[in-house]
Amino acid sequence: MTVWLQIGGRRRRVELRSSEGGDATSGALACVVDGMPLAVEARLLRAGVLSLIVDGRQYRCLLDGDVVIIDGQRSAFEAADPRSLQARQGAGAAAEGARAVKAPMPGRVVRVLVNVGDQVEAQQGLVVIEAMKMQNELKSPKAGKVVRIAVAVGDTVLAGGVLVVVE
Amino acid sequence: MRRLIQKVLVANRGEIALRVIRGCRELGIATVAVYSDADRAALHVLHADEAYRLGPSPATESYLRGDLILAIAQRVGADAIHPGYGFLSENAEFAEACKEADVIFIGPPAAAMRVLGSKTSARQAADRAQMPRVPGSVTGLASADEALLVAAEIGYPVMLKAAAGGGGKGMRAVTGADDLASAYTAASSEALRSFGSGEVYLEKLIDRPRHIEIQLMADEHGNCIYLGERECSVQRRHQKVIEEAPSAVVNDDLRRRMGEAAVRLALSAGYVNAGTVEFLVDAEENFYFLEMNTRLQVEHPVTEMVTGLDLVHMQLHIAMGEPLPLRQEEVRLRGHAVECRIYAEDPENNFFPCPGEITLLEQPGGPGIREDCAIYPGWTVPLDYDPMLSKLIAYGEDRVTAIDRMLRALDEYVVGGIRTNIGLFQRILRDEDFRAARIDTGYLERLLARPQELLPDETPEDVVAVAAAIFTALQTPAVAPVVGADESRWLQSARAEGLRR
Repeated sequence: MTVWLQIGGRRRRVELRSSEGGDATSGALACVVDGMPLAVEARLLRAGVLSLIVDGRQYRCLLDGDVVIIDGQRSAFEAADPRSLQARQGAGAAAEGARAVKAPMPGRVVRVLVNVGDQVEAQQGLVVIEAMKMQNELKSPKAGKVVRIAVAVGDTVLAGGVLVVVE
Repeated sequence: MRRLIQKVLVANRGEIALRVIRGCRELGIATVAVYSDADRAALHVLHADEAYRLGPSPATESYLRGDLILAIAQRVGADAIHPGYGFLSENAEFAEACKEADVIFIGPPAAAMRVLGSKTSARQAADRAQMPRVPGSVTGLASADEALLVAAEIGYPVMLKAAAGGGGKGMRAVTGADDLASAYTAASSEALRSFGSGEVYLEKLIDRPRHIEIQLMADEHGNCIYLGERECSVQRRHQKVIEEAPSAVVNDDLRRRMGEAAVRLALSAGYVNAGTVEFLVDAEENFYFLEMNTRLQVEHPVTEMVTGLDLVHMQLHIAMGEPLPLRQEEVRLRGHAVECRIYAEDPENNFFPCPGEITLLEQPGGPGIREDCAIYPGWTVPLDYDPMLSKLIAYGEDRVTAIDRMLRALDEYVVGGIRTNIGLFQRILRDEDFRAARIDTGYLERLLARPQELLPDETPEDVVAVAAAIFTALQTPAVAPVVGADESRWLQSARAEGLRR
């Protein structure tokens, strides 16, 4: 099977083929990475933990969400088919207009520093969230007008939850 | 007077609660855990003999409720309470309430805690014990005008500090008279918010100081010994990040002088049990008293590694009224130990805390490695408490061996699902200045201001791509509902891929 990935700003195409029966995700694999062949011995040790042997060199690979960790190095990746990757790249340039400020971690809202309709500068503080005894001020990604405030003091928010929208 | 302790209630959570539970079990003492709602499945609960609910998750409704904790201790017949660090550990009222309820508080007497707990009264005690201290105001400042007068006398730069402080709250460095008034107001209001007292004092700022502290043990028979020093100069915003023992810059003579000064202070305050006297040390080997911590500290394991002593066992024996098991001349320091505080935080994103579920955990082991830990795969790190997940301690015959062991262990250590500061430690321990012990309390801020160097042995990008591709293939869901359960994942994936085309 073929997997398309986006890693470190590069698009990669990886073909995984089993060389001696079994399936394409374990045992001896004949891989083709961006057209270049690579012989890999793969063993899934348990969910999220993979051992790869390439040219006798062993790599302990761990999966943490959308990050692969090898020898303590973290590499974020995104899997998609080529069309949706292209579509997303195209959309990236058009990220002007409304920008949502999201919670970088779960926490409790302790202060809201702006009101709907306020004009804010880039890097101006918008909301203060507290988690694990630390308060963190979340700043506006751009200069603009606050068009929506999605939270109130005392609310618990999840990571990625929208707090404020600046247009 | 000898008193037997048969059951200890551990009034804490996380790694320190587990550490104390383990120490008790080794001495045949039964343990009682208490927990908030967020901690029902926490490791300290799973390791205790008994466990009782305290209340809702916020610490003010659970781990800080001394009345509830004491009531549980009495109900279940615990002879003693070990407070760990933080929470009630330095609360003199709580220690007193324990005494009145005939429950042993494993820590110093309330009176000694009161003398040493407030930074201003501790400084007066330090003067009485002829302990050198940083020039500055002994009592709290009444106003910004008084701060200006004191600062003019001792010279700039100066540091404003909250009298009841800790954890870097209510501290402000001031380089000139122009900034002093506003810094005074800010420090005082922060102190009031954080500690309930706005009292602030002022000290001369020592240039590039090292933070070095002496571990003490005192019994109730008038014996007090010091167990060498720990260096805690790697700090971020006045919070310790890495600790080691011994310090690379403390020789036998300096150790003896600092140790004897610390012992004088403890004896003059009627101190009993484990305590730590913190000092700043300047480039000329002058040491200045900072404060005394009247509890077992986070960084106690590095002292345990180089002395071969178990400080929790010692605390329990002292609380049972026994004399110290060794004299000062019997204390031997051997080898070197380094400790990293592993936090649920993201150093690459402004050190934001990262509570959440631990989906994957690979813990390090091997020679010279100790992990004091409170996490397991599937445990959700709550957002209500301190973000410390574990402490990793490496021991070696010398400093370089200990550092190299730590680096090896950090490479093995993987915590998945949340972000941690493991990568930051890898960076610090590879840094030439750290390896050469060219550190002071400003070291980490300077390191973080530098661009990050690339690691020498980066994994080939193709290997990263293959690993990511295999993980992706394993996760690709079956699309067609007709797919049989006995079909291989590969077939399912191939079909799904075909359907997408």
